[in-house]
Amino acid sequence: MAEYTLQAEPPLAGAEMEIAGVRLWAPADLALVSLALPLGGEDAALMAIRAAYGAGLPEIGRSVVADDGTRLVRLSADLAFALFTHATPDAEHVVADRLNGAVYTTDQTDVWVALALSGPNTRRALERICPIDLHRQVFAVDHAARTVMEHLGVLILRTGEDDYLLLSASSSAKSFLHAVEVSLTNVNQT
Amino acid sequence: MIINHPLLGPRDAAEFVYLGDAALIDRPDWQAAEAAEAFHAYGYLRDNPAGAHQELWYHEQGDRSWLVVTRDTVSHEITQVELARDVARARGRSR
Repeated sequence: MAEYTLQAEPPLAGAEMEIAGVRLWAPADLALVSLALPLGGEDAALMAIRAAYGAGLPEIGRSVVADDGTRLVRLSADLAFALFTHATPDAEHVVADRLNGAVYTTDQTDVWVALALSGPNTRRALERICPIDLHRQVFAVDHAARTVMEHLGVLILRTGEDDYLLLSASSSAKSFLHAVEVSLTNVNQT
Repeated sequence: MIINHPLLGPRDAAEFVYLGDAALIDRPDWQAAEAAEAFHAYGYLRDNPAGAHQELWYHEQGDRSWLVVTRDTVSHEITQVELARDVARARGRSR
């Protein structure tokens, strides 16, 4: 029998470009694990997260960066995401072990695809395709929102003054990249 | 139309899907003696008010929450937005 070697091929691996002074790239090895707080066990789950990460779960629509660089994003009353750089396909085990089973964890790494944008024109490109208000004071640093861009569901995070991280479904990764790329090109032409 | 989500703030109606009358929260007891009539009413009979209407909206392109939106069917003015979970609990449901 033939010997096979399997190699990971993230859908947007290697994507990197600069348009309108904005750097657009697909961050490598970004792991994503969902954290669901069990019904009736919310307090124990929140305590476990605080003990494991040294940071409590923020309020809904906010994110916080823990000491080890993990970004905890609160999406709703009982759901959060842990985002961290992790190259091997065992991200869920790593998080589950740290939380001692107090939180339901699911590996979402391969389901989502990430695009990072950085540069002063980023907001001008995003405001063309994003229906939520991205004004600096309204969507401040570390804010997060699930919304839709060009019919694709997107989780948008503001990670810095002019830095954003967008997460969307990996099944439509190339359409998503195209949408963001076109919007940046349109900024360039105005 | 903008729906002011109780947790997430103002969101465009395009992010939501409409289901219908919020009376759907009150599913009848299937073991009750009059269950057949109750389910007929639950499944088919609706008021059709010209005015305030409580309805279920699903934030599909958002946090996947169910909302009870009170909307004026004549003017489309939205007067109240609540989490369906809170409304159900206030009506005595366990979750």
